[in-house]
Amino acid sequence: MNRLEQLKSSGNKAFVAYVMAGDGGLERLREQVQYLQGAGVTAIEIGIPFSDPVADGPTIEAAGNRALKQGVTLQKVLEELKSWTFDIKIPLLVMTYLNPVLKFGVERFATECGKAGISGVIIPDLPYEHKQLVQPYLDKENIKLIQLVTLTTTDVRLDDILREAEGFVYAVTIKGITGSRDELSQDVKTFMQKIRKKSPVPVYAGFGISKSSHVDMLRDDVDGFIVGSAIVEAFNAGKIEEIEPLIRAVTTA
Amino acid sequence: MTKVKICGLKEQQHVQAASRADAVGFVFAPSKRQVTIEQAAELAKYVPIDTDKIGVFVNASLKEIEDTVAGVPLTMVQLHGDEPDELVKAIKVPVIQAFSIRTKEDVAKLKRSLADYVLVDAPGTDYRGGSGNVFDWSLLEGVDIDPARLIVAGGLNPGNVHAAIEQTTPYMVDVSSGVETDNRKDTVKIQEFIKQVKDDSVEQTIEKVGFFGKYGGQFVPETLMKAVKELEDAYNEVKEDPEFHKEYHHYLSEYVGREQPLTFAKRMTEAYGGPKIYLKREDLNHTGAHKVNNAIGQALLAMRMGKRKIVAETGAGQHGVATATICALFDLDCVIFMGEEDIKRQQLNVFRMKLLGARVESVTKGSATLKDAVNEALRYWVANVEDTHYLIGSALGPHPFPTMVRDFQSVIGEETKRQILEKEGRLPDTILACVGGGSNAIGMFYPFIQDKEVELIGVEAAGQGVDTDKHAATLTKGTDGVLHGAFMKLLQDDAGQVQEAHSISAGLDYPGIGPEHAHLADTGRVEYRSITDDEALAAVISMSRLEGIIPALESAHAIAEAQKQAKQMTADQILVICVSGRGDKDMATYAEKLEGLS
Repeated sequence: MNRLEQLKSSGNKAFVAYVMAGDGGLERLREQVQYLQGAGVTAIEIGIPFSDPVADGPTIEAAGNRALKQGVTLQKVLEELKSWTFDIKIPLLVMTYLNPVLKFGVERFATECGKAGISGVIIPDLPYEHKQLVQPYLDKENIKLIQLVTLTTTDVRLDDILREAEGFVYAVTIKGITGSRDELSQDVKTFMQKIRKKSPVPVYAGFGISKSSHVDMLRDDVDGFIVGSAIVEAFNAGKIEEIEPLIRAVTTA
Repeated sequence: MTKVKICGLKEQQHVQAASRADAVGFVFAPSKRQVTIEQAAELAKYVPIDTDKIGVFVNASLKEIEDTVAGVPLTMVQLHGDEPDELVKAIKVPVIQAFSIRTKEDVAKLKRSLADYVLVDAPGTDYRGGSGNVFDWSLLEGVDIDPARLIVAGGLNPGNVHAAIEQTTPYMVDVSSGVETDNRKDTVKIQEFIKQVKDDSVEQTIEKVGFFGKYGGQFVPETLMKAVKELEDAYNEVKEDPEFHKEYHHYLSEYVGREQPLTFAKRMTEAYGGPKIYLKREDLNHTGAHKVNNAIGQALLAMRMGKRKIVAETGAGQHGVATATICALFDLDCVIFMGEEDIKRQQLNVFRMKLLGARVESVTKGSATLKDAVNEALRYWVANVEDTHYLIGSALGPHPFPTMVRDFQSVIGEETKRQILEKEGRLPDTILACVGGGSNAIGMFYPFIQDKEVELIGVEAAGQGVDTDKHAATLTKGTDGVLHGAFMKLLQDDAGQVQEAHSISAGLDYPGIGPEHAHLADTGRVEYRSITDDEALAAVISMSRLEGIIPALESAHAIAEAQKQAKQMTADQILVICVSGRGDKDMATYAEKLEGLS
């Protein structure tokens, strides 16, 4: 069974943590994943650095550039994941832009992700229209291709995307790029309610989630939260323990 | 949403007719529709990258299948013989296993298949691999097969496919003889079949658009999809609107100063010693280059869409200046992203933009050139998409940009065609234009694409040489990839990281190429060559002194190649060069690089 399905059946609010693979050196990824698992996150998104990350804000872009300087590549990350022998109980996802996947070979990417125990893949610049480019290969490995929906997604698109959604739906809470925000707009709440009513799979809110106040505001309207920039920042500053209250705010209560 | 596969394709026109399909099939087994690997590879150049290319085999060996998958390349394999489970398991790409169905017992065999998808067909006649006989869909009723694995074939045609979908709700429908007339595929029937599946569906659907062969598409984050689709709709509307065209041409003539002459270059003709040389004078446009043609078109479109804020990127600054100019003219709010390096190289243009009332944002990330300016402009658009139009400057980006920019720039080629017919009574033998993203070149070439006797040559920047790591020769050295919303050719490393391009001319300093150019290169309709920094600088001197026209560095690449090309041509031939812009903006570079000129 795909671990994302187990996660769905557990019924708790999910906390999906994003880490940039190779930020601070690829050898750190292992301890980061172990730390986050120990801290109680429910899934981990492993970001692959890319030279032109147009969906990302300055925090994640800077982390990606640090990783690229270390020579981190998609292949090296997958090799690292395959080498792990410690017990991973939670779903691991790969988040990558499309071009490194195309260069690596889509079929090879799916096979290697399968071997590395990946449960889901997120490709922000692969919209619904073009998902056939990778979906059949991921299907073959029982890996879920996670779709994004945003405040600007029209109702027709929303219906189409949700009808074929698998794993979970990544609901983008802001009009913009990734990065910590002070406030989330009120229409986000209505938007989440609308998606959740229609979605056959859990709805997780992401982009701009960095505070307990964001979590409190949306708690009743989503099935989980995705936190990226705040974690990347905390790891980079060597203050990852400061993220623990946010994890607790989601997973307990 | 049921997918559509058009199977047994052998001709380019039929592959193109199937552009809205989700999959195309090539038959490698003995059949009247059989193709070779080479034929299929040629046809695959016309298949969008995200469309499945499925190879049909009957009892082929694993090696044969693997060689074919790699040679075309194929994305899926369809097996029509008595292939053993071991073979099904050994094939790396997704596998479709086909079954001929006569009875309920045959249906049971489907369920035991290890393939990713199962295809049901009526029993074959002479050849295996589909007979076109009508399959009794009711046989599938009450059988426990996951519809997500089911592909229905057998006697489908535009008239009955709807009923077949309602009855079986399959993953995909597959048609071959149902879209043929006299044993040959029929363009109209192919399109009608796809239309029946897609447009008559109860569900409203979204689908892919905007491909040139396998290149193009809309590879952008979901946040931008609404804006991109709205733009596509708005552009489709104005394309057919005579009022819009009238307005656009009004500004081209009254404000830009078109039409621009096609100047006979007498002294260049004599000096280069070959064909008659004509110059298409985009350098005479207001603002100094071809960029303004597109800026006016897009600004008028943005206003029609109710958007009064414009964001744009610029490399050399010519597009930034054109955009800032038009925004001043129409009182639009204007933000221009420009790489820090380019700001240093093009200080005069930066000041021009500011003088015109635009806000110029310096981009310090990455290589701090055009590629990074596009990234920042896209991010700005993502965050301000409701009230802002992204006025992209080249034939790049997600659909509809490459088509729209081409159409607005096609005025260059349309005028040239009319003018050369007036002057010479015939079309030119050769046309040259420089290529960065490729907007002046596609605008010049497009009206001549169907005129096969006209040789079209695009000239890229070879920088310090295509065998160094400092060049921008994307078509010469690039490989397939996705950047800035389109599948195209890219300069990238083995890990798929986009590399920095280099050219002395900031306007050609881009590691990608418009998707239509990538397709024209693939099919060989346009030939792409490259010119180094030094060759371009020499051409600047040559043209300045022979014709009294100081060209932009970008245009100088086309001129340098023209000098080479002229040597292989004769006096009764005609060569046209697109002089995309004038050299005023490059004076500082010329003064530095050509110091000591006498």
